[in-house]
Amino acid sequence: MSTRRQVPPAIATTRKQEFEDPKARAAYVKKFLPKQEQETDTDEPSTRSRSRPIRTFIRIAFYKFLLWILFSITSLYLRIRYVKNFILNRWFSILYYHHKTPELIQKDVKQLDRLPQHLSIILEFEKEGGVETLIDHVAEISCWCASAGIPTLSVYEQTGALKKYISTSHRITSQRLHSYFGKNRPTLRVLAPHLPSYANGDTEGLPDGESPDLEVIFISEEDGRESIVDLTKTLCEMASRGKMTKEDVTMELVDAELESLTIPEPDLLILFSPSVKLLGYPPWQIRLTEIFHLPDNDAVGYQVFLRALYNYAKCEMRFGR
Amino acid sequence: MPSSGLRNSLRTRRWFSSLPPIEWLSLRIQEALIGALRQGPIPQHVAFVMDGNRRFARQSHIETTEGHNLGFEALAKILEICYKAGVKVVTVYAFSIENFKRSKYEVDALMDIAKIKLSQLSQHGDLLDRYGAKIRILGHRSLVNQEVLEAIDRAMELTKHNNKAILNVCFPYTSRDEITSAIQSIVALAIPTKMKGRQLETLTEEAAEAIDCAHEGFPQSRSESPSSNTTMASTIVSGSPAALALLPREHVDFTGVRHKEIVDLESISEQTVTDHLFTADNPPLDLLIRTSGVERLSDFMLWQVHQDTDVEFIDCMWPEFDVWHFLPILLGWGLKRKRFLREMKLDDEQKHNRGSTWAKELGFGEVNGSQNKKTV
Repeated sequence: MSTRRQVPPAIATTRKQEFEDPKARAAYVKKFLPKQEQETDTDEPSTRSRSRPIRTFIRIAFYKFLLWILFSITSLYLRIRYVKNFILNRWFSILYYHHKTPELIQKDVKQLDRLPQHLSIILEFEKEGGVETLIDHVAEISCWCASAGIPTLSVYEQTGALKKYISTSHRITSQRLHSYFGKNRPTLRVLAPHLPSYANGDTEGLPDGESPDLEVIFISEEDGRESIVDLTKTLCEMASRGKMTKEDVTMELVDAELESLTIPEPDLLILFSPSVKLLGYPPWQIRLTEIFHLPDNDAVGYQVFLRALYNYAKCEMRFGR
Repeated sequence: MPSSGLRNSLRTRRWFSSLPPIEWLSLRIQEALIGALRQGPIPQHVAFVMDGNRRFARQSHIETTEGHNLGFEALAKILEICYKAGVKVVTVYAFSIENFKRSKYEVDALMDIAKIKLSQLSQHGDLLDRYGAKIRILGHRSLVNQEVLEAIDRAMELTKHNNKAILNVCFPYTSRDEITSAIQSIVALAIPTKMKGRQLETLTEEAAEAIDCAHEGFPQSRSESPSSNTTMASTIVSGSPAALALLPREHVDFTGVRHKEIVDLESISEQTVTDHLFTADNPPLDLLIRTSGVERLSDFMLWQVHQDTDVEFIDCMWPEFDVWHFLPILLGWGLKRKRFLREMKLDDEQKHNRGSTWAKELGFGEVNGSQNKKTV
């Protein structure tokens, strides 16, 4: 009897302890859990490391194979798209040709309700293979702009090669304009930031302050990020002399300064490359610029120019005239 | 009529894709695709302009707010793909400073969505936590009201410890504002301090040297290892903590990078400006995607979209943007990058005057090579 009486309180106390103390509870519960748990805990790493190399190897091989298939499909798709676009571009360039007549170009753009006031293009030195071709393109596009009635054309060429040939470009472009328009060709001015502009008698007849019919601006990489860095330097110098505080630097100030240092914001940027890469184009100015490119197009052509203008005006292009 | 048809098709598509076997299968396929993508080149930094939520809502005759909600769902899906595939930094254009010009009703709704989604995203065990991503809000803080600011801070605090990936949310942001504030902080560093002890000056010089060295070490060629940017930044901080702690004027930005006082104005370079931007310690931007067919940057990442960033304009609304739109872009990018790397290798080979007759690798990377041939 006495032993029986002694047992219950002992159990009760241990139970109580087990339920109150989380550690003891865990130890208590453990007795009832299957023992394997612990074994797997210790065994798992070794079995894993044994079976893993093969499995991971197979998995990686599978993934690599899958990637190869994916790349093949993509490349096949890109090839087909290239052929399609190539034919389409050729078709467009046959349908729309300027025949060196401003009237035809005017007719092409007549139905557009808005035209960019400042057009910008990116030309690539290496791709075009030399300054002659570059200048030739500039002259040609200038003529299209003059015919369509776009007053400002900025030409971005990364290396700045064009900037060395401002007078040559002016001469060749004037000749080209002459061949388009005949005797009373539009007046032209070629300029580059920080360099004297070149008008060569074009603006003689114009009253003071009036701008010529077409302004061609050459810009390069140094008018991009570098111009912002230069501006920062200038501002810092002023600040170090105590003429400027942090609060004086505003977006309006930076905008005004950069516009006077380089070019104003263009309305439309045409790329003659198959994909959109800005190649160091001035970052500040490109904020709201419409960027146009034709996928898979590699050539500088009138149809690209025209399609860009149509796209800018949100106008559907009719096939044929 | 067409709009209700669109709505119906949307509903049936959703119903269909939520069937258990279909769901399981698509999940498996996605997993396999992502596993495959991981084996090839993957952009380190991807930016999205999430455009077209409103137009999508209008087209499918739902509330604008609902459109924004759907847009967020699309974002969550894309984020998951990005992080799984190994993208380090994702930057999204959530709200432009210009967007404050919209109706008050919509702005408020957007703020509410931002508040809710931020806390949802950063919750323990949710998307960001799962992929070890920390959230960062880039933008003009003073334009946001107190409540949203609190939500932002909480989200940033909660995910602070994650260091595998970054989600940059541009929220009230414009790139011009970003560049301007970068210039501002550089100018602030250039304003001389009158009280400068001799000892402190020498210390600054030492620190300046340390930083300059680190800057020179920055990888200019992007292919090398973009992730080293971050490690560099951290070594700047941890390199000589004692010296830096004594700096008379310094500016610690929200990423924890310290900037020293500018003594020599000629030392200001593109890198200096880059280091003062919100994206200072991020790898260079590899890919920028804009949906809705609008071909403009709209004041987003102007400075960052510099040399080699691929800009893709896609003609679909943001809520519709999914794996099947994203995958071709990633693959196209991968192909281009492979070609680029191969050309780099070829250049290197030619420089070393070793075998110039390089049998062109046959296979899948040849698209553009053949293009060139055709145009010639």
